[in-house]
Amino acid sequence: MANNILELRGVSFTYPGAETPVLQDVSLSLTEGDFVAVIGGNGSGKSTLCKTFNGLIPHYYTGEFAGEVILHGKSTEGKTVSQLSRHIGYVYQDFENQLVRPTVLDDACFTPLNYGLADYRQRGERALELTGLTGKRHDFIWQLSGGQKHLLALAGALAMDPDILVIDEPISQLDPQHARHIYDILRSLNERLGKTIVVIEHHTEFIAEYCRSVVLMDGGRLRWQRPVHEALSAVAELLPLGIYPPDVTRAAWMLRPGAPAGTLYPLSCEEAEGSFARRGATETAQRIERAGVHLTELRTERREEHETGLREDHQGGHVAEHGVKGAGEQAVGHGSKGAGEQAAERRVLRNPNHSTAAAAAGEQEPVVHMDKAGLAYRTIHKTLQPVLSEVSLTLNAGERVALVGNNGAGKSSLMKLIAGIAQPTAGTVTVKGITVNGQPPERLAGTAAYVFQNPEDMFIDDSVRGEVSYYLKARHREDRAETVERMLAAFRLEELAERDARLLSGGQQRRVSLAIGAAMAPAVMLLDEPTANLDISTKQEMIGVLHTLRSHVETVVIATHDMALVAEWATRVIVMHEGRIIADGSKEEVFADALLLRRAGLTETQLMKLSRSLGLPQICGSLEEFTSQVSWQEDVKLEHKEEGVALSGSR
Amino acid sequence: MEAVKRALDKISVERIKLELLGNAYNSSSTVLGRLDPRTLLIWYLFFAIVPWFMHNRTILLGMFILMAVCTVLARASTFIIFILCLGLITQVGWMFLLSLFFGGGGESVLPMLTLTLKLSVISLASITVFSSLDPERLSDGLSALGVPDAFAFSLSYGYRILPTLLEEFHQILLSFRLRGLRPQKNGMLYWRTAAYYLRIIVLVFYPLMLNTAKRSRTTVEALETRGYNYAVNNPQVKKLKLSYLSLKPRDWMFAGVTALYLIALFTLGTAFPELIY
Repeated sequence: MANNILELRGVSFTYPGAETPVLQDVSLSLTEGDFVAVIGGNGSGKSTLCKTFNGLIPHYYTGEFAGEVILHGKSTEGKTVSQLSRHIGYVYQDFENQLVRPTVLDDACFTPLNYGLADYRQRGERALELTGLTGKRHDFIWQLSGGQKHLLALAGALAMDPDILVIDEPISQLDPQHARHIYDILRSLNERLGKTIVVIEHHTEFIAEYCRSVVLMDGGRLRWQRPVHEALSAVAELLPLGIYPPDVTRAAWMLRPGAPAGTLYPLSCEEAEGSFARRGATETAQRIERAGVHLTELRTERREEHETGLREDHQGGHVAEHGVKGAGEQAVGHGSKGAGEQAAERRVLRNPNHSTAAAAAGEQEPVVHMDKAGLAYRTIHKTLQPVLSEVSLTLNAGERVALVGNNGAGKSSLMKLIAGIAQPTAGTVTVKGITVNGQPPERLAGTAAYVFQNPEDMFIDDSVRGEVSYYLKARHREDRAETVERMLAAFRLEELAERDARLLSGGQQRRVSLAIGAAMAPAVMLLDEPTANLDISTKQEMIGVLHTLRSHVETVVIATHDMALVAEWATRVIVMHEGRIIADGSKEEVFADALLLRRAGLTETQLMKLSRSLGLPQICGSLEEFTSQVSWQEDVKLEHKEEGVALSGSR
Repeated sequence: MEAVKRALDKISVERIKLELLGNAYNSSSTVLGRLDPRTLLIWYLFFAIVPWFMHNRTILLGMFILMAVCTVLARASTFIIFILCLGLITQVGWMFLLSLFFGGGGESVLPMLTLTLKLSVISLASITVFSSLDPERLSDGLSALGVPDAFAFSLSYGYRILPTLLEEFHQILLSFRLRGLRPQKNGMLYWRTAAYYLRIIVLVFYPLMLNTAKRSRTTVEALETRGYNYAVNNPQVKKLKLSYLSLKPRDWMFAGVTALYLIALFTLGTAFPELIY
């Protein structure tokens, strides 16, 4: 029924000078209108594979090439990249570098103009319309946000009306809302216009939701190509490759040890409905789920449990009493929308400092203290654009603070104030007794260390060792050689010590940036999106590295969109929205408030959703925690299995 | 010194970026900005070359007046004009001091004034043309006049990448500062601090170049997938791209008025070569 649009037959490729081939005997066919995810660990040949589609390999990268690529039933041998690119659009991972014109419309028109198509302008306009950038068409590239630049790169590829679109890690630099936006656009291109879409993707939750089939690469070989449900259910096979199927899928897999290979597991919370049950409280949970409307009961029950839960296992210096109050407020807040909003307002008004241990202990000096700090930028029109207003905050030693909120909520700005990179335009900021206002960033260097979102921004030397020792060298520290060695060891960088940090992989670069920060032995370390751009296994590793960090600094603050990271790591969560702090409390408190999360533009993880719908005593942060509290329901599962088979069969 | 500090505070990288780019790309709103780029380029060619061979001060002064009017019409930024004046004054000032040193006197001012006039005419012509042409139209204009496409493209790409480079420069500078150690004392006339900053500003260029090299790998590859090589020196594409350029009545009028003015000026100049001094 569906035609093969692109076929690879026995393709192998070796980069010049390399010992081992990056692609080995890969045979693959893409059906027209498919939505394919290419997955695989780092260095498995995902990008290389996609570059054979449009002839970049072997024409642009010359090397040893064998095999055949067939596009629309014709061999592509002898065709140039330019000829093939008429049919295949490519969006790079570092998409910013593929925008070569100054204005949005110009860039969108660039490709069709290059091919001498008389209607290039209409094509550009249409591509902008498809990506929702029409309103920005006369803007300059440098005025766009990261997400908009990505959309523009996509528009540039769409302007040629290609049959196949290849997108290398479409959402790695975006917050969850923008990520969803990109995928919704891709889906509509796929469904409405019948484009064949190939994404290289780590985020299995997005694969589960949007893709139809999955290609697994491993060590340059194509291991298999399967429909999405079958593919992601192969948990046991994927985990060793560093690919983490969605939480729901893994939880189901963990709860059913010894299930035969090929068993299908649910991929999303919707599919999983009814498959999990609270351990020990199966009856109640079942009843509630089936009815689905007995929310009030669930809520009452949850409030009670939340209270006891908090009393029993509140961690890291939060006053239980306050937590209970918070939970109570939320429980009431869930009753009706109006009340919910009121509860949210109340959170804003609440003084966040009350809930900290130091307030209870009284004596200890806070690491960071902000008093009604504000920050405003001057725009091109000479008006002041406020980014932070009236932020009051106290951070204490030993806290692991997560700053959450969507793009533009002011997370980075807040951290820049603490690090002395930006000067507050109102109020005061004190770090370890030093008033930041008016101090040059050098003065705060050893007190507050800021680790940039993009590690490359921090690289100023030509070796990893040089990067780590720069700060100590500038201060002529006696023990610097020793400290550097210790840091290199702690962040597992010994082997890479003499390499140029710019040429390392994303995860390695991130470790270098953290080692740079830790070598300064700051009182407070500020990390901007430490898990952005990392594949999931590196991300898991990063959580371990963050724990290493704890022994070197007093307080760690992380700005992130990554709710899984927050759930697993933080002891205190500060929610920001439009330049203000709208909530501050333990993660249990914050996660329990669905309304608050939505208001701040945060998406819940699957575990959070499941914990909530099952009415678990608290929102689970890790799979282990979750699976220890729920059990698998065999009978419901069977129905689901059949449904799953039917589903994948129809695809 | 406080005043200097305050002035320095106002010069943020973001600000420079906005000024510079605002200036470069915001030109089509002026009278001269609506002219065809080819008209402006040819016009510029004349006023950039001819003054060097002119010794007639009346004609030079006449040209200066024309250039001044054009600069006003082009609404050039006061910042650039300020820099020009500063340059001219220091240039002439130094030469005057030197001539005093070698036993010259007030009479050495006049020949220098001639040179200054020439320089001003040429500089003002440059300012007029380049504030009236944004990089895109400049690149298209050059391309239309037969300059190789690769050069014209590089020119417009250079502008496109400029803000990125500025941002990166700022970022790396910040990284140096965040890990560096500023001198504890400012030293006499802030020399320690100044030396510290000058040193890191130089050091920034090294990572900046490496990063740029890394970035350009994707750019070059992407140009390939975006059909750039297909287009380069393809006359069909060039024609399509430049089809928006056309000489309109206002171009002819502008050229005509300039020509008439020059004819009158040269007549006047030959009749009274020493009208002013």
